[in-house]
Amino acid sequence: MNKNIDLNNLQNEGVENVPMQERRDFLKMGLAITGIFAGGSLFSAISTFNSAHASDFAKKYPYKPHYSMVMQQHRCIDCERCMEACVATNHVPKVHGAYRTTILEKETPDAVGGKREFIPILCNQCNLPQCTRVCPTKATYKDKTTGIVLMDIKKCIGCLTCQEGCPYNARYFNEEKKAVDKCNFCWDTRLSKGEKDTACAHACPADVRIFGDLSNQEDRVFKIVHQIERPVWVLRPEAGTRPNVFYTKG
Amino acid sequence: MTIRSLCITAVAALSMAAGVAVAASYPEAPIVYDKPVKGVVFSHKIHVDKGMACDMCHNRIFEQQAKKAQENKDFVMESLYQGKYCGACHNGSLAFASNTRCATCHVGVKGETRLKSGGMPGKTGH
Repeated sequence: MNKNIDLNNLQNEGVENVPMQERRDFLKMGLAITGIFAGGSLFSAISTFNSAHASDFAKKYPYKPHYSMVMQQHRCIDCERCMEACVATNHVPKVHGAYRTTILEKETPDAVGGKREFIPILCNQCNLPQCTRVCPTKATYKDKTTGIVLMDIKKCIGCLTCQEGCPYNARYFNEEKKAVDKCNFCWDTRLSKGEKDTACAHACPADVRIFGDLSNQEDRVFKIVHQIERPVWVLRPEAGTRPNVFYTKG
Repeated sequence: MTIRSLCITAVAALSMAAGVAVAASYPEAPIVYDKPVKGVVFSHKIHVDKGMACDMCHNRIFEQQAKKAQENKDFVMESLYQGKYCGACHNGSLAFASNTRCATCHVGVKGETRLKSGGMPGKTGH
């Protein structure tokens, strides 16, 4: 076999050449989340959801807990207490462009009634992260227990390919750590120390950020994501990253 | 000119210098509350232009002093829903209900920054 790779004549191996079993495993996770992307209306097409037993859900949400956040977007008033809490808890440098979470503003001048929305964004801890795929040194990875996309900063070489690859602008280069930084759901600063929520969710006075566990059917996040009366969506579903942060309003 | 007309002119000039006009004057710049949350705007101009007189609010509902209301511990949305403060009118009947159109008043940190820089985007934003 030719040991030298001919870069000029690389062939696309094609998805039809991926073994059937791998594709099944790959899709099992995806099916559970896919329904959410069509504004929640695909749940009825996935028949197991409505009559599922607890054991079925454990397979669909493999992390224990399966950390997730729901944003009640219509309640955000850009008080930015979440951002202040994040900066204080996680030592985010106060430099332009450096944020683990931020608030976007959207105006709809022709809207009837209110014309301005505020949209909090942060790392979506994607189930199929683009960032971890492109990292050349495995400095970032999706933790097998918690599902949080973590940084191993000593391996980061600052190439910023992960920052380019993130559809959600969640990553920034931290000059003090000399590594890329991003939201990790306050894993090292709060969750691993017994706190039950992230700093931003704790600080929000308007019940915008609801942090919880998708693998627990009693959890508020689970209930909002799986109900059909209010629309629930994710940002940029076309990116195919299967985010763990959901948005709702109304 | 007669002494009388001179006096009238003098009084008028002094009145204008003192900022008193035929209609009562009011602070035209928006008032931005920052407690309990930042970025909450109140515009006298919008309300006065709708024909409201000073004593409609400054009789019982609000002190005639900017940001005095936020010193009260009950300056929260629940109080508005119960008819206090802005909720006296913003109840859905006299004006839009205070649990709708949140960002009209809650312009946020971003809105406050824009107001301070005279409507231009803040230097830190892009």
